[in-house]
Amino acid sequence: MRLNTKTLINLSVCIYEDQIGKFDWRQTYVGRIKFSQFDTVSTAKKIIVATEENVLAALNLKTGQVVWRHVFESASTGNIQLLAITDKVVTVSGSNPYLVRGWDSATGVLQWEWSLSLENDEQADFSEWWVQNDLLIHMLPVFGSHLEVSMYHLASGQNRGYTSKLPASWTRESTCVLTPPYYTCISGERGSENLISMDVTSQAVQLITRPLSEYVNVETYDGGIGAVDGSSVIPAFTVDDKKIIMIKNNKFEMLTTNVGDALASVALIDMANGPVVLQAWMDDNQGFTMTAHSVATGAELPELRVTDRNLKIPDPEVSSAVCTKSNREQLVCRVLISSGDDSVHLMQQGGRVLWSREEALANVVAVEFVELPVSDLDAAIESEFDQKEGSIWAAFSRRLQTQFTQLQTLVQSIQRGEGLEEDAPSALVRDYFGLHKIIVLVTDVGKIFGMDNLSGAILWQYYEADLDTEGVVVFTRRTARHPPHDAYLTVVGKQEGTGNGLIISLNPITGTLIGERLLKLDVQLLQCTLLHRPDNEKLHALILLDKEENVQVLPRSAAPLVENMFMYVAERNTARVQGYALVFNGQQVEAIRTWLVQLGGSAGAGHRIVVALGKAPGERVHSPGRVLPDRSVLYKYVNPNLVLFLTEGPDPLHKDIVVATCVDAASGAIVAAQSHRRARALPHAVHTEHYLAYLYYNDKHRRTEIATLELYEGKTRWLPAGAAFSSLSSERAPSVERQAFILSGAPTAAATTVTERSLTDKHVLLALSSGAVVEVPWVYLEARRGGAGEDGVVLPAHAPELPLGGDARLNYNRTLARPAHIHAAPAGLESTSLVLTTGLDLFYTRVAPSKTFDLLKDDFDYYLITVVLAGLILATYSTKYFASRKMLKQAWK
Amino acid sequence: MSQVKSNKKFKWALDFNPKTRTQTTELPSPPGYSQSTNASYTESSKDTDSNLLLIKKLWDVALGPLKQVPMNLFIMYMAGNSISIFPIMMVGMLIVRPVKALFATQSTFKMVEGTQATGQKFVYFIGNIVNILLALYKCQSMGLLPTHSSDWLAFEEPQTRVEHIGGGLSLI
Repeated sequence: MRLNTKTLINLSVCIYEDQIGKFDWRQTYVGRIKFSQFDTVSTAKKIIVATEENVLAALNLKTGQVVWRHVFESASTGNIQLLAITDKVVTVSGSNPYLVRGWDSATGVLQWEWSLSLENDEQADFSEWWVQNDLLIHMLPVFGSHLEVSMYHLASGQNRGYTSKLPASWTRESTCVLTPPYYTCISGERGSENLISMDVTSQAVQLITRPLSEYVNVETYDGGIGAVDGSSVIPAFTVDDKKIIMIKNNKFEMLTTNVGDALASVALIDMANGPVVLQAWMDDNQGFTMTAHSVATGAELPELRVTDRNLKIPDPEVSSAVCTKSNREQLVCRVLISSGDDSVHLMQQGGRVLWSREEALANVVAVEFVELPVSDLDAAIESEFDQKEGSIWAAFSRRLQTQFTQLQTLVQSIQRGEGLEEDAPSALVRDYFGLHKIIVLVTDVGKIFGMDNLSGAILWQYYEADLDTEGVVVFTRRTARHPPHDAYLTVVGKQEGTGNGLIISLNPITGTLIGERLLKLDVQLLQCTLLHRPDNEKLHALILLDKEENVQVLPRSAAPLVENMFMYVAERNTARVQGYALVFNGQQVEAIRTWLVQLGGSAGAGHRIVVALGKAPGERVHSPGRVLPDRSVLYKYVNPNLVLFLTEGPDPLHKDIVVATCVDAASGAIVAAQSHRRARALPHAVHTEHYLAYLYYNDKHRRTEIATLELYEGKTRWLPAGAAFSSLSSERAPSVERQAFILSGAPTAAATTVTERSLTDKHVLLALSSGAVVEVPWVYLEARRGGAGEDGVVLPAHAPELPLGGDARLNYNRTLARPAHIHAAPAGLESTSLVLTTGLDLFYTRVAPSKTFDLLKDDFDYYLITVVLAGLILATYSTKYFASRKMLKQAWK
Repeated sequence: MSQVKSNKKFKWALDFNPKTRTQTTELPSPPGYSQSTNASYTESSKDTDSNLLLIKKLWDVALGPLKQVPMNLFIMYMAGNSISIFPIMMVGMLIVRPVKALFATQSTFKMVEGTQATGQKFVYFIGNIVNILLALYKCQSMGLLPTHSSDWLAFEEPQTRVEHIGGGLSLI
């Protein structure tokens, strides 16, 4: 009918001011700590950190929250080389040329900046920097020859006028360490090494030389030399991971304290009564251990000793520490410990952790939304309906039983209700609208988190140091909908080092390992997928295709279920795509090579695959066609096996070309293709229902463009309604509608909204490098845009540039640093889609592309409607009464 | 014989129970009286007077729907093709009224018995049908009739799949 051709395009996604933070949250991260310093100078106590993510930030000492943050370039131009605190926060960043900047520590405002470029570009990577007496000292070792030392005035960048070249033929790469102002090397023949050190800031060249055998056994020695962690004013280093040597009065001085553990982190800190050696390590049996010894006496300070079996800090490193004496002669210490799993802990004396930050979340590589289980009571009710057999009386008694338990829990909840409600965490059960889920995040460092999507609180975490997360995939193999079976989630990654497959199976609700638990394969994996058909326990089997093209099915018992299953493996650098058919031969599943496609021309053309993107598994398409203005139907080409490959490669005529190819992954047929000349591909694409969109950088016009493809069968259906689509028996090619639009921003991620039944419009979500997440209605990307928009059909007029207005921003004024991925998942409500943006920051919100048609408005006036209803009822009864009285009176007249 | 006898008996007596009508038939008709036309003429002229009125009235009723057609056409023209509350109300009236009238045909023509009843009913029926058709035409021109395949799109079964795929970029 005409009504449904009238599309209402929901353009603005703005929220009201009082809705800020109601459906969304943002968490800011800084990344793995590289340098840290306590800022004890200013009144508001802070820790200044510089991180591997090229972020300079100040953390509140009490809460650990970010006070201010500067995100530098993510390339090497943003690398932070030095963090020093004088009256300002001083950073040296970049890699030849370097930028020296001074920041106000209270506000983070840039105070001064100057740049420095070195002539010797090859050696520049070995540069060492430190700040001494308001001078920035730069030292460039030329190994085996000399050291170049220059000094600059810190604020102005004024050079002293010369660069001193200190002869140092004893320097060797990788056996030297800088402990400002001393530069120390282990030099000499094996067995008769010397420990040589030099003060590089002094005018006169003065070497300190001692044979290494004085400190360690040169026969067994293999640990090398390492600087101590933390920010100490005393130059000290460790030798062979066993001995700590300090340089005092131009002399080596070995400490009586030995290094407690081979993997211990050693730090020297200053205290009121002399410097203290702080060591921290993680022991499998004893847990986290931290010890402190006085440098002067070698005696242990018992008040600083920590052994905590329950504290799990893998590979701890004392990043910085500060100790003061309180009024009552008590030690007050704050130790910032960064860990191998990228977390940061601020610990006080006695081992109490004041706060922790999970900086691994700054590098999320895979995300999965997991449904919560229903409550026990609901499960009981549901199971009642499942039991089909049994007489009426049995059913009746079951009903009575469940009613009774319901009543019991109600009474119990009323009894418990008082006083407990405030601090009790919301139970992990499915809510009525299905908005409450668990987000499972797999991070780059190998830590897996379970997060509550409503609050952003971390529910559980699991760290696997051996997990290499390059190309990691996450599968939900069983949802929580099948009690008594637990939900089942599998992470397939690689082992660090060998590259062999590593499979972690866990219960996403609790974070405990289940099923296959931690499975280390002894073979590299080519690809893996999920079997579409669940087994008796409602578990979807995992199909692994290894390097030798053998197939493994987990669990093994599910192998007979493999039927009509196909796989493809795309090689990124050669642009070769190999298709396999998986066949069960009675004993095991075999992978048979079926087709091979060389994308981007011949094998030597130099094309590489940027994106390989299929449809989301189990995607639903609600409408099989779309209605045209003349009320006829254009049927969609909805091939569930279609995969979009985006390749880029050199071209003799047009420099670079980008080719988008749609391949049917079951048959290997190429369904559609198009190319862009003088362009470079961006790794962002969306593929859903019958349409595809991908981004590329147009080199000719120097701008980013988005190209869209829509595939249609035509005005008649190829197959009757409800028939099964088979890639192997479809011979017709779909008609393709294409268009490209100019984007005014630089996108860093793209996704589409997903809803439960796909009734709702689909919107494309784009994350921009400016820190915005923008929602673009698909109507704006359509090829038919600006076409025949007759009688009442709302189609926006064609414009070459795509509007990315401020009112389409999902994250209003909450700018996101380096958004990298967008993940969308359906909620139980048809209108709503849950969206998580990862990157340096996490941002979660929910979007309603066709507005919340199945939900009362947020500002719905319940009070008013109750009052009106009550008033109406009252009025009805009162008029009834008065009317009867009047009738009676009239009857007596 | 007995009659003759009684006539002889009572000269002035009136016999209310005459055994035979032979006597009366033998009486000569009054002047100007025509035996052939008399009875039927007076009867029919009386009858026709009221019947004709009724028939006329009923024909009015029967032709009513047809007479509405020009008015309906005018209303349709004035209502326009846009979908808003007033045109919808008007189109609704246009449809509902003739349908209601059709159901009420029996009660409308209850008192009628006669040679023209079927004809009247038929005309009445035709008139209402014409009105309904007009209203349907209006609906059609407003696009309210589900006559296109697009109108049934939402009820079509989604397609199922035979093959299932998995895979992606090589993990090595």
